[in-house]
Amino acid sequence: MFRTFLSLRYLRARKTNWIGMAGILVAVGALVLILSIMAGFLEESRRTLRGNLADLVIQPSFQSSVLQENGDWIPMQTDVERMLEIIREDPGVAAATPQLQWYGIFAPDGGETALEKPMQDAIQLIELVGIDVEGEGEATDFRESLETEYGKKPGLGKFCNVGRPASVEDPFRNLTERRDVVRSRTRPKVPILVGEQLAYLWGLRRGQEVSLVTATYDEGSSQLNETAANARFQVVGSFRSKDNETDSRRIYIDRRALADFLQRDRLWSAVLVKLNDYKRDKDAVRARLWSKLHAEGFLSAPGIRTNEFRTWEDFRAMLLAAIQNEKALMGIMLSLVLVVAGFTVFALLSMMVTEKRRDIGILCALGATPRGVLALFLMIGLWEAVIGSAFGALVGVLGAYNIDAIERKLSSTFGFQIFNRDIYLFDYIPAEVSFSGVAWIVSGAVFSTLLFAAIPAWRASRLDPVEALRHE
Amino acid sequence: MSDLAPIQPSPDAVLSCTGVRRSFPVGDRRLAILHGINLELCAGERLALMGTSGAGKTTLLNILGLLDRPTEGSVTVAGMDAWALSARRRANLRNEKIGFVFQFYHLLPELSALENAVLPAMIKLSRGAYRSGRSAFMDRATDMLTRFGLADRLGHRPSQLSGGEQQRIAIARALLLDPPILIADEPTGNLDRATGERVLEILLDEQSERGVALMLVTHDERLAKRCERVLYMEDGLIQADSSAPMPT
Repeated sequence: MFRTFLSLRYLRARKTNWIGMAGILVAVGALVLILSIMAGFLEESRRTLRGNLADLVIQPSFQSSVLQENGDWIPMQTDVERMLEIIREDPGVAAATPQLQWYGIFAPDGGETALEKPMQDAIQLIELVGIDVEGEGEATDFRESLETEYGKKPGLGKFCNVGRPASVEDPFRNLTERRDVVRSRTRPKVPILVGEQLAYLWGLRRGQEVSLVTATYDEGSSQLNETAANARFQVVGSFRSKDNETDSRRIYIDRRALADFLQRDRLWSAVLVKLNDYKRDKDAVRARLWSKLHAEGFLSAPGIRTNEFRTWEDFRAMLLAAIQNEKALMGIMLSLVLVVAGFTVFALLSMMVTEKRRDIGILCALGATPRGVLALFLMIGLWEAVIGSAFGALVGVLGAYNIDAIERKLSSTFGFQIFNRDIYLFDYIPAEVSFSGVAWIVSGAVFSTLLFAAIPAWRASRLDPVEALRHE
Repeated sequence: MSDLAPIQPSPDAVLSCTGVRRSFPVGDRRLAILHGINLELCAGERLALMGTSGAGKTTLLNILGLLDRPTEGSVTVAGMDAWALSARRRANLRNEKIGFVFQFYHLLPELSALENAVLPAMIKLSRGAYRSGRSAFMDRATDMLTRFGLADRLGHRPSQLSGGEQQRIAIARALLLDPPILIADEPTGNLDRATGERVLEILLDEQSERGVALMLVTHDERLAKRCERVLYMEDGLIQADSSAPMPT
């Protein structure tokens, strides 16, 4: 009984103990706050990095034949309707759509520029993506990327002269009126949607005509017969997918129009799949689909971990790993603050044991056991750890939930911007509190403090009561 | 009386020691302080221990109070060989059987007068047992402190009290658990004459009222005269054991 009573009394009476408690509070609070912000950045970055990527992207290698598990070779299948049928049958799949992907050179001044002055900054390599608007909207965030409010957010958006397409439902609607076409006796230009940054970098305007140059080859031939294709297109809108790289090099075209431009029979190169519950089902659906598609000859690789079959995270693996790594490193570095707080408790308790030698002698004379004395000083460390950690966790959690408002207040008070929102693609400080993480931090703080408190507590328990009673 | 020849403790003895020697290491050699002490203290007996400084009185008191282990010999408290027991049981023995009154009071500065007085009960009992018996111990300590003239000082800290008041609290603390043995190391040594007299009256009254065996270390002849037995120590040995007149 005396251990609890005396430890609380010592804690209350000696203000220096509060320093140790404050140290633990700051350490735990900082750890909770920073790790919550890092988790928020990670989650927000995942959303940003994902851009318009679908949950699963199936890109067959289109070889001539596929080796089955029984050792037989069967011809590789290319019937996308059959493939979509197989995919849509899976209970974990919400939507699937074909896509035709190709690469080309973007030359706003005309195809000649691209071919004659390839080394000058008048051209840019771009990604041509042929889509079905309906299917793309179901399988990816394509429609959201068209509906972005321009001009509100500081940064590149307000300089974009293209803006959203006239109709989000039918984004490839040609801007040229039919009567204009009839009057000029020219074919209407193929409409394209350009990435917002691409539009900004090239100063594109809505309705502007641009040249796209590419090389194709004859798939049926045994030799690689390359053919140059050059056509004029009309910019009818722009999109913002959140992913800078996508926005600076991607152009969306109607899938059939792209196939037409490429003069190809096959109208697809990949199938995008949206799952009902990505986090829960991704591995199971992936395994099921691979097994079915491989058995029917759509996939050639002998396993699911190939470029033929990728999740959106596989595309962004390096970046996601880098952010995760940063979070782990930050956690390790901040854990050192806990060690410093532990040292503070160690120093304060050691000082206390020296100061309280006579009290220890008195307690022994009154019948306290060495173990009782050890427990008394350990309990002082425990109270410091528990109270400091509890308040630290509270401060950290409240800070994480209000970090954006706190930053704005501090920025306006001190007259400089602490968090520059122009740098990131989100205009607030994201924070995500993980309560299991908070519990781990609090447990770690309590454990490390007890570890540091154990040394002075053990010293106290080993004191000779006669010597201790003589202490002045 | 010979200190060297071990004695067989009498059945009435609540505290006894046999052949107790104590030496301390000083450099390469050992400095002997006690040279084989035999002593017994019977229930209700009042014994004064006198002697010159450095005679070994405090060392003997510490050994009898189970605070220090003898280099040789044994100490028996309430029929139990104290140093044959585990540290925990020895601590329990000290808690229940021995009350200490020190020259410098030795109260815990963070606790009030009442809290200091009930400290032995807190040490003795587990949390649950203390909670159930708390009010009884509090009442007991309050009664004692009231009898000692400290009714209006219960909530005061030691720093807010005089030396005499602090020593009265120390006496209440020593007697709280009704121990059969009371060890007092110069209880009036740090007090002025009048205050010392008052404190001594309280101590001796309580001792005779409760039938506690009292062992008192003192340099005060007047105080020694109020004890039944007086032992004189010199150079680590008991040189004389004389009976003193009963207090008037």
